[in-house]
Amino acid sequence: MKSFTYNDMEFSVEKAQDRWDISCKKADGKAALVAAGLFAGLAEGEAEAKAKALVRTMLPVGVRSVGPDVAHPALIGDMKLVGPDVTHPNFIYWDKDSSSFPR
Amino acid sequence: MDIKGSVAIITGSGNGIGEAVAKYFVRNGAKVVIVDMVQKNIDRVVKDIKDMGGEVIGVQANVSSEAETAKFIKAAIDAFGQINIVVSSAGIIRDGMMLNLDKETGKVSRKMGLDKWQPVIDVNLTGTFLTIRDGAEAMVNGGWPGLLVAISSVNKVGQVGQLNYSSAKVADALLPKIVIGEFLMRGIRNIRCVGIAPGYTATPMLTGMNQDALKSILADVHLNRLVEPDEVARLIGHCVENEAINATTLEITGGLCYPNGIAK
Repeated sequence: MKSFTYNDMEFSVEKAQDRWDISCKKADGKAALVAAGLFAGLAEGEAEAKAKALVRTMLPVGVRSVGPDVAHPALIGDMKLVGPDVTHPNFIYWDKDSSSFPR
Repeated sequence: MDIKGSVAIITGSGNGIGEAVAKYFVRNGAKVVIVDMVQKNIDRVVKDIKDMGGEVIGVQANVSSEAETAKFIKAAIDAFGQINIVVSSAGIIRDGMMLNLDKETGKVSRKMGLDKWQPVIDVNLTGTFLTIRDGAEAMVNGGWPGLLVAISSVNKVGQVGQLNYSSAKVADALLPKIVIGEFLMRGIRNIRCVGIAPGYTATPMLTGMNQDALKSILADVHLNRLVEPDEVARLIGHCVENEAINATTLEITGGLCYPNGIAK
């Protein structure tokens, strides 16, 4: 079994026959299944990597950012515009704009 | 199309019809994505499906949000590599009359507010649109054959006290015809779309209601009982397997009639 922490939640990836289950420890300490029967035949390392990617998709953290434009020459008074930390491990970068509200 | 080996996303599958559909698909060899707003319901259904030996992921999402629909579509592809069946089963009710009159004055004392109108439209219509749209986008871009299922309701005929719900559900019933017309124009021939319009179904919402009121409802049902969620699931399963069913909305009501005996 492999464990990892993401967004202050503890996840474990456990083998069940030739497949993998993903569990999450809730705030109350109880474990809940996030997924079952995935990644048939994969080795533990590959299953763990895929589980991490899946969890990031299912539980995105961060905001969809369309600004601020920190390179814009016109600042607002003395206000310093600070962009989001897109290198933060929990930040999900939404690089696709809404098709309903394109820029 | 075979259910076995397919990947199905079912919104609103934390209970009721959606849960029955998900479990039916698993029993028949599909991999499923459970989508619901209520995490404890997701946890229960995911565990049930694991106990059945199925392949499943559970995603908490609000279907009326573009970011959230994108999330469960991507999660399905991350987990299973494709999407073949999308069932838009998430739905809510906020019943009430458009106008209520004061018994003494005969003047309007209360009217349906946007607090009752908008959430029902957001989940039942916008949510169905987003789920079907994004599911179709993934199928087209992935080159995967598929079936899109909108869950309408027999109350699309216009149920008193459900102006919001009936308005959304009549639009959901029409959706398959427009979607398939557009697919034809665009040369998309491997994705079908159907609607399912259940009548009074034995979901927790109905079985838990006042038993006298339930008896009154059943008096108008020729079958003399509620439709079982599994019966709705079997109809959807048949739609998956029978490719001639397309661009239409099928009713499954047990023979729901108006009180004067005319079938709705």
